Amino acid sequence: MKKLQIETLTGIRDQFASYAWDDDELNELVDPKLGIITGFQDLLDQLEILRQVDLGDTPPAADIKTSI
Amino acid sequence: MNESTAFSNIKTLRGLLDSGEILAVELTQIFAERINCLNQTSKAFISLDIDNALKQAEQLDHLSNRKILAGIPYACKDLFDVEGIATTGGSRVLHDNVATQDADCITQMNNAGAIFLGKNNLHEFAYGATGENAVYGTPPNPYDQTRLAGGSSSGSAAAVAYGLCSTALGTDTGGSVRAPAALCGLVGFKPTYGRISTEGVIPYSWALDHIGGITRCVADAALVFSALDGQRVDKALNLKNLTVGIPETFFFENADSEILTSIEQLMQLLTQAGATMKKVAMPSMEYTRTVSLTVQMPEALSYHSRYLESRGELYSPDFRAGLALAQNLLAEHYVRAKRFIETYRRDTNRAFAEVDVLLTPATPTIAPKIGVTEVSIGSYSEPAGNAITRYTSFFNMTGHPAITFPCGMHTEGLPMAAQLIGRHYGDEALLCVAQLIESALGFCVPEPDLSGLD
Repeated sequence: MKKLQIETLTGIRDQFASYAWDDDELNELVDPKLGIITGFQDLLDQLEILRQVDLGDTPPAADIKTSI
Repeated sequence: MNESTAFSNIKTLRGLLDSGEILAVELTQIFAERINCLNQTSKAFISLDIDNALKQAEQLDHLSNRKILAGIPYACKDLFDVEGIATTGGSRVLHDNVATQDADCITQMNNAGAIFLGKNNLHEFAYGATGENAVYGTPPNPYDQTRLAGGSSSGSAAAVAYGLCSTALGTDTGGSVRAPAALCGLVGFKPTYGRISTEGVIPYSWALDHIGGITRCVADAALVFSALDGQRVDKALNLKNLTVGIPETFFFENADSEILTSIEQLMQLLTQAGATMKKVAMPSMEYTRTVSLTVQMPEALSYHSRYLESRGELYSPDFRAGLALAQNLLAEHYVRAKRFIETYRRDTNRAFAEVDVLLTPATPTIAPKIGVTEVSIGSYSEPAGNAITRYTSFFNMTGHPAITFPCGMHTEGLPMAAQLIGRHYGDEALLCVAQLIESALGFCVPEPDLSGLD
């Protein structure tokens, strides 16, 4: 898996159904300078590891909605 | 009288109210005066409803039929709707969001006779465990003003810990009730996922959100749970027949040595009381934080998309950054994370085939200093928010009921706490076991020294 590029995120913003994030906000995900979000690339790397785990026929966990 | 009354547990207060030694209106006034003196320091409350509280208390004083929380003053995190009061979420985004009806939990508390005092500060929209809030301030720990109360239910924990109310409701998505309670020397209880209605509560993550209560003792937690759930907590259990599961990995690693010693001592005490300690295998925890984030952030984005277009500039930069991250996760990531959660639930249920409860430390650290971004324990370093919820967040994914309670004081003068986890829908049994352990332990957290603060 290649390292995340800012063009990927601007492309998602401009070509997918997405909120209009500022360039600076997207750039912070790729090249953290403010220290707000520092681990997006790490998160993606870990998701790639999890993607390779065979979960068999395990379904997604169900949500439960309770009201009175 | 005022100081000792303010730090009394609900059972004691009920005794005073039932015997007529104090009127509900007098009790409400005691807390109202303390809030007036200490809210600037504690930053526990965002909004107050004292006039209505006094009216409600006066009406209660003329009734003979006493409900389980009759006359007990309480507060709630400012994510819960209370009719006629703004639900801000601790954010400028919803400063004018006045609720038109009560959340289900508020209805339940009011039906149980509890007196609503006001709404508590929090980490903006519950996004974070430090409780830092640029708009409403950061609640300091009552045992050391330079340290955090913890979050995200920071104001709820601070309100109880500073003696500003008897109990406070919070939400717990990764430990946001249990962890601040633990850091402030209180009890934090998160019932089984789905057991308590979240209707009328601003969501952070539907899959992980739980409603919980912060109290001074386990018996009070049981009373609040009864009020919310409508069931009495009354089970005959004893420690002799109890098998306590001790996770083999993760939960005792990279933790403060004094916290680990306090849990060891608790295990010895339980063994002496006849309980059996049994090591249990738990699922691998290596990627649990990634799994949790991959579920919670897209859910938060999905909810907040209703405000992003019109009020997006009013969000704090860190929450916006989290939402921007969520926008760039794939749908398959989210579904896969939820499938991992299902495996965590199944594996944890399997562990409960051999044990009645699980025991862990509540947090690996005492309350971090305000403004500190990284917490170091030995050579291990991590962001403060991650450290605060490191031992609690897993059980938001599995949905098991969990309670944290004080088990000692650190040499730094801060409380330390244990966490007990029960079976799915075994909330009553868990509360009973926790009460037995609390009694056997015989440990009382000293009241914080608040002299000079008002």
